Formats: sequence, C-alpha cells, structure tokens
Amino acid sequence: MASAQEIVSGLGGADNIVEVEGCITRLRTEVRDPSLVDERALRASGAHGVVMAGTIVQVVVGPEADTLADDVQDLL
Amino acid sequence: MNELVSEPTTQRAQLLRVLAPLAGRLVGLADVPDPVFAEQLVGAGAAVEPADGAGPTVVGSPIAGTVVKAHPHAFIVQHESGCAVLVHVGIDTVELDGEGFERHVEQGAEVAAGAPVVTFDPTAVRGRGLSAVTPVVVLDSAPDSIPDLRTGHDVAAGDPLYAWPA
Repeated sequence: MASAQEIVSGLGGADNIVEVEGCITRLRTEVRDPSLVDERALRASGAHGVVMAGTIVQVVVGPEADTLADDVQDLL
Repeated sequence: MNELVSEPTTQRAQLLRVLAPLAGRLVGLADVPDPVFAEQLVGAGAAVEPADGAGPTVVGSPIAGTVVKAHPHAFIVQHESGCAVLVHVGIDTVELDGEGFERHVEQGAEVAAGAPVVTFDPTAVRGRGLSAVTPVVVLDSAPDSIPDLRTGHDVAAGDPLYAWPA
C-alpha cells in the first residue's frame, strides 16, 4: 500500500495539493499544477492507477483510501 | 449412509457467488462512465443499470459478510474468505453528499446476502445529471478475472450476477 508521504510527493508536493478526499477506493485530489504530478511514481508506490482530468487527479489505492486521505491531509 | 451428501463440492466452495444488489440491466464495467471502474482499476466485476423510471430502489448486499465500509452512495462487504465486494451506487454520486440516499446498516454490521443496505432513487440521481449505473466489483481482483461473465440481460435483485473464483 502506498504511504501518505509517497502520495504527497507523487502529487508534486504538499504545496501542489489543493484538496484531497478519500472516496472508498480512490483519493480524489485537486492540484495546482498537473504537470508536477508523477504518475509513474504514484504507481510505483502501490497505486492501482492514476486518472487525470485537468487539475483533478484520482489516485486509485484500494479500500484504504479513506484512511490514506486522512494521513495525506495530516501532511499538508 | 453419507453417500448422498458426498457431492463434489470442492470447486463450488471456492467460488464467491455475487448476487445482483438491485434490479436492472446487467452491463460490463467497460460501459461504466468512470475510468476507474471501466478500466477495472479496483477490480473485475459487472454493473447494473436500473430501468428507466425506476422509483425508490433498495440496494442489497451482494454477498454475506461484514460491511467494512458504509457510505450513503457506496459500500463494501467482506466475505469470510477475505474477498470484498464493492457496490458503488451510481457514478460520481459522492457529490450528492448522501442526499436522496438512505443507509440501513452501520459500518461493521454482519449482513446476509440480499440484506437491504441502501435505498436510493435512480430517477432522482439521473435528474441531477449523474449516471445511476451501479458497479459491483470484487476488490483487488485481476482485470477480466470473472469467467463466463454474461451481460446485456435483465436481472432481478438477488439474482446471481457472477461467480468469482476466490
């Protein structure tokens, strides 16, 4: 399972993250600059998938999404 | 005298039988308008599209087990084997913040297959511009890992949806 720290860095660092919310199996996040998102790093850290649409980035992490979202929130 | 009960159950015991949580048309995940489900990123499964004009609809548990997640718009039931099935009621319905959804069980509850978990109104969901299609996914299963999955036909709530080789 991906760690909160890996998620934060994969999303381009804490400063790049506008919002993160856990939704069952995925993190729904909004970022300032999508070009800073490192999809490969997110996948390497254990994410099942990354779906990007503009500044909205969904990171599929499995059923731990809600817990992980809280952990990510704590790092922001 | 036990010959009658010595039926070959080995293979059956390994199948997780997943029931339709609600009535509708059985569709493949590829037809779900959400890439996370369509690309089977959380697992293999199928989805149920409620009929046009469907009124308030009870969504039942697809398997017997423990409700390990219970949101108004989605829930996860874990079977004693460890397999967990996600039922996501409609797409992007998290945006409705529970409005129009009634949850009948608490997180941690033990449920029988078919037990009511959520009631919602597919027509109201569509009225908000969202899809009411409801993916039923075996979490963390490999893409396309459901053998002989048939889609395109109508199912009633509680009908067999698919069996997954647990």
